[in-house]
Amino acid sequence: MRAFRKWHRIIVFIFIVALVLSGCSQKNATTDTYKQTDETSGNTEKPKDGGNLIIGTSGSPTLFNPYYSEDTASSDIEGMIFNGLVTVDENLNPVGDLAKNWDISDDGLTYTFHLKDNVKWQDGQPFTADDVVFSYSIPMNKDYTGPRASDFEKIKEVKALDEHTVQVTLKQPFAPFLTSTAGYGILPKHLLQDVPIKELDKASFNTKQPIGTGPYKFVEWKDGQYVKLEANKDYFEGRPHIDTVTIKFIPDANAILTQFQAGDIDYMALQSTDLATGEQLVKQGKAKIKTTPSLSYTFIGYNQLNPLFKDKKVRQALTHALDREKIIQAVMNGDGKIANTPGSPLEKWAYNPDVPTFDYDVDKAKKLLAEAGWKDTDGDGILDKNGKKFSFVIKTNQGNKVREQIAQVVQQMWKEVGIEAKPKIQEWSSFIKDVTAPTWNFDACILGWALGVDPDPSDIFSSKEIAQGLNFVHYKNPELDKLMAENTKITDREQRGEMIKEIQAGIAEDQPYTFLYYDNDHIMYNPKLQNVQQHPSIAYYKIEDWWIKQ
Amino acid sequence: MITYIIRRILVSIPLLLGISILSFLIIQLAPGDPTSLFLDPNIKPEDREAFIEAYGLNDPVYIQYFHWLWQILHGNFGQSLIMHGIPVSELILGRLPNTLLLMVSSAVLAFIISIPFGVLSATKPYTLTDYTVTTASFIGVATPSFWIGLVLLMFFAVKFPIFPSGGVATLNAPFSIWDRLHHLILPAFVLAASDMAGLTRYTRSSMLDVLRQDYIRTARAKGFNSRKVVYKHGLRNALIPVVTIVGLIIPSFIGGAVVVENIFGWPGIGNLFLNAAFQRDYPVIMALTMISATLVVIGNLISDILYAIIDPRIEY
Repeated sequence: MRAFRKWHRIIVFIFIVALVLSGCSQKNATTDTYKQTDETSGNTEKPKDGGNLIIGTSGSPTLFNPYYSEDTASSDIEGMIFNGLVTVDENLNPVGDLAKNWDISDDGLTYTFHLKDNVKWQDGQPFTADDVVFSYSIPMNKDYTGPRASDFEKIKEVKALDEHTVQVTLKQPFAPFLTSTAGYGILPKHLLQDVPIKELDKASFNTKQPIGTGPYKFVEWKDGQYVKLEANKDYFEGRPHIDTVTIKFIPDANAILTQFQAGDIDYMALQSTDLATGEQLVKQGKAKIKTTPSLSYTFIGYNQLNPLFKDKKVRQALTHALDREKIIQAVMNGDGKIANTPGSPLEKWAYNPDVPTFDYDVDKAKKLLAEAGWKDTDGDGILDKNGKKFSFVIKTNQGNKVREQIAQVVQQMWKEVGIEAKPKIQEWSSFIKDVTAPTWNFDACILGWALGVDPDPSDIFSSKEIAQGLNFVHYKNPELDKLMAENTKITDREQRGEMIKEIQAGIAEDQPYTFLYYDNDHIMYNPKLQNVQQHPSIAYYKIEDWWIKQ
Repeated sequence: MITYIIRRILVSIPLLLGISILSFLIIQLAPGDPTSLFLDPNIKPEDREAFIEAYGLNDPVYIQYFHWLWQILHGNFGQSLIMHGIPVSELILGRLPNTLLLMVSSAVLAFIISIPFGVLSATKPYTLTDYTVTTASFIGVATPSFWIGLVLLMFFAVKFPIFPSGGVATLNAPFSIWDRLHHLILPAFVLAASDMAGLTRYTRSSMLDVLRQDYIRTARAKGFNSRKVVYKHGLRNALIPVVTIVGLIIPSFIGGAVVVENIFGWPGIGNLFLNAAFQRDYPVIMALTMISATLVVIGNLISDILYAIIDPRIEY
């Protein structure tokens, strides 16, 4: 019996050790499900047609109609089925998509688009200016029930001058028109003209038979499983090389990575937390990774309804107290770049690299806080003023490990200057409800903005967006308000760029946010995939040019 | 017996009605609404308001509830708020068979594995076999299912590619029962894992109890071989308490299925439920809650009926 008990203990011990070890080690996958492709030098090989591409993604789409969709999962797929008049190139400059070129009147009110004349709908019908007029009049119609009306309210009139020329007249000059409004996918008039606008959002076209002019045709959508698309052989830019594209839905991020390693998917978006695993795969020749700075930034927002944050000096001090480079190193493994302005460096014409910065300087932070009247009078390590402690709750949303870690790190850093921050993690929907108008139930929050292609900062920082909009930190600067109201009216790029740079400098000086960093987007794909291109805001960029080396 | 079943069914109607009222109220209490997805600088607050009005989300709670109830009584589960007009019944019917398949296979797997092991444990108590089985089942209950799922995926789908890494069937391939079974094994096993432990232990203790009874001793004295004694006389009686668990396992699978479906990309209602809850897609949440409640009621009813069949002492 005694001998048996000893056995028992040994077995249990072995079990425990095995479990612990299996959690630590990183075994190399010995699968041979990857065909080792030789490294080809440059793009000197001729693309071959054929093959199937399987993309793994976590988001499930809701419908395929750009005038009604609200989520990126849907719009990413819409990007393969539909085209707009104008799109953007790698430098975020507008280039023609369905439009060959365009003329803008001197007063900036009339845009005349000359359309390409070799475009056919995926059902064979020719694409004409009437389709553009039809599409743009949808959100302008009084019965429209979708979420995109505001992007079209600046349009006075759309009319077809002839089969391949369409003219849009605006109510006032609106610089973002080309890159935002004129980028919307065009819908086929001949298939949708009989659907009452009130019911257009429920049309079976949206979920069962979307038909566009784009490189890939919709084949089927198995809810929760995948969407299948096949090449549009008559695409006006030439036949896409890859025969079929299947977008597979895998809700769990770890599972996506596992499926990629098992060879069950060929392409995925790689999180920065998985970058190390990805690089391992690259070393083994099983993957390739592409990286681009993303059109987004992460920030800490300070609610100026809270008296703690009303003083500009205090906000500047809060930024000075943070070692943002260290945050990027610790939390993101260095996969990010410090941000100082609310615009992205990718928008070269409107990015101000010389805004006032508030670099890591603990002494400066302490000095500014003292100037604002904060002293530690009771010796408890926390600053106070008129009997009130400098203590607040910093909120962020659940499910984003990076932000949760940032909350911990900044708590530590602020402690050094006598500020007490208490992190609180909240479920997304209730977090949004709390933080946005009209609740504003927060002190500070950690969030990120995904920026649009147009660098207009007024949606977030103009004081007219406080009551119902996205300026939930209650930031108000009357001079900048004037500039922000003006900037979209200036069609001349250089002039407008200067104005935006001035606005950025002003916002940076006021520090309504501590701008933390711009992060990077990574994609990881099977090396058999050739000529893959990446774009900061367009998913599956130029997918018609990608090809598979069998 | 028939009158008993009818009585039970009649009682469950007000029960389900009460559940629907309670669920509706609780869901409305949760902060947030479907427009929290609209946190896009391009979507203005007026558009958000228009959406809320259009879907009747501004009406008082009781009006919304009666509207919902009226629709249900006409067999209309409403339309998804997030999925733009796709009927909820279509969403659910597309996925329910997958979840049911997963649940039934897990239940079958759990029973097939647990009961023989439980019996084994009971017939050889306090031996190495017994301790091994017990330890293994405790490990099964202690480790979270997502961990088991990911580890199994790593080993059996990536390192030694024996099983597929997810999904219901191979993409772009023709239908094949073997292919479906191949995809089913890992998820069903993971889902069953946590319940296997309980079932094994339960079978074991029930069996131990029964094997001590006098009638077992009599049977042995009569000269029946060991197997006949254990299985025909012993197990049948030992299964009585185990059968009552059947009714309770089904609802627990609904919860566990969410995690397993997430990891294996299994297109079932667990996933739908999770997404709908986060996105506040009220019609979908209500429909799924009612389906789960109904499954629980049916599960308990089956449990009681099985009980009556197996145990001749019980009479309704």
